[in-house]
Amino acid sequence: MFQAKTKNLKNFSTSAERFEGANLLCPGCAHSIIVREVLNATNDNLILAASTGCLEVCTAVYPHTSWDASWIHIGFENGSSAVAGAEAMYKALKNKGRLKQPDRTPKFVAFGGDGATYDIGFQWISGCFERGHDMMYVCLDNEVYANTGGQRSSSTPIGASATTTPAGRISYGEKQNKKDIMAIMAAHGAPYVAQVAPNKWKDMVAKIQKGFATEGPVFINAMSACTTEWKFAPEDTIAISDLATDSLVFPLYEIIDGTKLNITYRPKNVIPVRDYLGAQGRFKHLFTKQNEYLIDEWQARVDAKWEQLQRREEACL
Amino acid sequence: MVENGWDTFEIGTILRPFEGPASDVANILPEDRSYTKSNSFSVSVADWRIEKPLFNKEHCIDCQFCWIYCPDMSIISRDKKMIGIDYDHCKGCGICVEVCPTTPKSLLMFPEQKDEEAALSEWPKKEKKEAKEN
Amino acid sequence: MAELFELHDIEVWDGNMAASHALRQAQVDVVAAYPITPSTPIVENYANFMANGYVDGEFVMAESEHGAMSCCIGASAAGGRVATATSSQGFALMLETLYSASGMRLPIVLNVVNRAIGAPLNVNGDHSDMYMGRDSGWIQIDCYNPQDAYDMNLVAFRVSEDHDIRLPAMVHQDGFMTSHTAQRVKTLADDVAYKFIGEFKPMNDMLDLDHPVTHGAQTEEDWHFEHKARQHHALMSAVLPKIQEAFDALKALTGRQYNIVESYNMDDADIAIVCMGTSVETAEEVSNELRAQGIKAGVVGIRIFRPFPLEQIADVLKGCKAIAALDRSSPNGTVGALFNELAGALFNTGTHAVLTNYIYGLGGRDLTKSSLHSIYRDLQANAEAGCPTTSLQQFTGLRGPKLSFF
Repeated sequence: MFQAKTKNLKNFSTSAERFEGANLLCPGCAHSIIVREVLNATNDNLILAASTGCLEVCTAVYPHTSWDASWIHIGFENGSSAVAGAEAMYKALKNKGRLKQPDRTPKFVAFGGDGATYDIGFQWISGCFERGHDMMYVCLDNEVYANTGGQRSSSTPIGASATTTPAGRISYGEKQNKKDIMAIMAAHGAPYVAQVAPNKWKDMVAKIQKGFATEGPVFINAMSACTTEWKFAPEDTIAISDLATDSLVFPLYEIIDGTKLNITYRPKNVIPVRDYLGAQGRFKHLFTKQNEYLIDEWQARVDAKWEQLQRREEACL
Repeated sequence: MVENGWDTFEIGTILRPFEGPASDVANILPEDRSYTKSNSFSVSVADWRIEKPLFNKEHCIDCQFCWIYCPDMSIISRDKKMIGIDYDHCKGCGICVEVCPTTPKSLLMFPEQKDEEAALSEWPKKEKKEAKEN
Repeated sequence: MAELFELHDIEVWDGNMAASHALRQAQVDVVAAYPITPSTPIVENYANFMANGYVDGEFVMAESEHGAMSCCIGASAAGGRVATATSSQGFALMLETLYSASGMRLPIVLNVVNRAIGAPLNVNGDHSDMYMGRDSGWIQIDCYNPQDAYDMNLVAFRVSEDHDIRLPAMVHQDGFMTSHTAQRVKTLADDVAYKFIGEFKPMNDMLDLDHPVTHGAQTEEDWHFEHKARQHHALMSAVLPKIQEAFDALKALTGRQYNIVESYNMDDADIAIVCMGTSVETAEEVSNELRAQGIKAGVVGIRIFRPFPLEQIADVLKGCKAIAALDRSSPNGTVGALFNELAGALFNTGTHAVLTNYIYGLGGRDLTKSSLHSIYRDLQANAEAGCPTTSLQQFTGLRGPKLSFF
């Protein structure tokens, strides 16, 4: 019955929200669009956690909360462990017959930014996935420490200007390639790992529902275009997201049981990476004579990754 | 919530989104919920806006693009129809206007003080089929 | 249902085993832990109970102490009984989350098997970790032997989970000296111990799906102060009466008497040593030897380190002429913490007692009876002179020439 709700957008629009407005996220923030799509993808009860970051500091500033389901925040690194602990308690109380609503099965979801996921919270996530808690971890990947003003993380892509890797007279900005978190999480043998983007809502909601139907730890890497730190106008969040998915900078795929890879979105017209980069202020300095070679390198990297994903997919057939 | 002392609120910075029990929130629309004052739903961010989106029902095809991509739960859709904008929670980002696929658009940004009737009267007209054929 | 564990009335247990059995009898719902010397056996024993069907809660072997306490916090907020154990470096790694647990008012019981903190690396018992936790907002109960470790765990659950308290509690025992020293422990039957602790009563539980709650909101200058004040107020005003109530109930049940402040030979004492952990029993022995010589020597043991029982301590020490505060942690730049606490307790009370400070036993160095005799001799001289005859702070049991300050 529930699948019918997400068959098309008209049906999906009958969802009653469990994430509330007048939160403090920036106008045009993709975090909020992602959270809505995740929460609306199920009618089950939810137990949520968030790591310190934009989502957390904007949705639970005393005396207000934007969360219509139980929610917990402890620190920057441990949103995963918080929800894992709650899941362990659920199992314990279920076994002992002490659940207050034993007929209902809540879903356990942790949200964290890329800083909390790729960097400071990585060990905790790795622990939760190795132990196999029945939970979903959603990384809101905006490729920067946005909450603290735009410092680089290990998700920041090469050439982006961040406040701790600024572009300058002799620097083109971030020097390291973005960490391949998808491969790392798949290497845990997690039953379901998927990359999603909110502009491709149907693909995203299908993956979230697949994740909810999966027993064990599920990792979702959600591209979250950041109007403030990527430097584009707030109304362009979806347009920028389209550029990311259609240039294949942010390919949409899933990895099942750590091995089987499916590409879930193939753009009809693949657009040049140059168009994606050119739409954002953080890459503005690449469009100069001395840095332009980096754009070509970008394109080559994206092409190679797409090739690799297709080979991986074929290998599983 | 009472704000008149250090010991008049719940311990542990506990906040509750609803008054009393709320067992099936996913199936209860906002208008039928008993929100607490602590729920950010009870707060307005209208003063964040410089521009506001206005909705012209005449051109709307109820595709729900504005609903799915609104970051602020401010597109009010009921029974698969877009019925209006929640101006308490809209921050004026303009995404709804950008993603609107109709020609002319069913949503447009106007200065915050703009009179709705005046805006609707100035709305770009639909190109007539005859004109196209000519 | 968990299997019943048949216990003898008296078992020979070390402190770790005593704590493990207390956790088992409490029917803890979630234990999330990470092993570290010397608290490892608590976790191993618990795993053994699990493997043999003696506990039916969840046991999460976390990837670090920080992860362990993070899981404990999530589990406790979800709504059930939660406990864990750690020591030293692991305690230090956990520290960030300790503040979270108390600020979120989550009644978690943490067994801290006290151990030094490096560098230099050291696995033996001193009180560095216990002292590191003293501003973290937890109740801190101190044990002197395995019997205490058993009893104080039962007390900790009962007090911590009380809805008037809702504060986490640490149960401290000395690494190796208590944790690995087998002694006679008088036990309670499983059902009697469980009844003493009581059923867990959930509060603000995330798993009550009909009443969603937000845990861990951010408070800035407009609200932070009130929440911290509320927490401190609960710790200062509600905890000691509840502990006293639990001690009274335990006495009625077992005949064993515990006190907020433990005192020995103190009724007419001129000179007193104030200390914690295993040192208390050694000092008691020395005070008996001195009493036999006609010297009015007494011992005060800190049972509750947080909230610090300022008034009760001042009351016990009111007739003393000279007092030594013994700190088993390097104060690194000031007087020892216990010296500070005692000074705070005694100042403004009209006492003229001379108060001095001894740093001892770092990294598990034994506190010998001869050291204690020497300290009592200093105290006797101070009492007679009416002022300090030594430096304010001295190191005792240290190699080489005497090291002293202030």
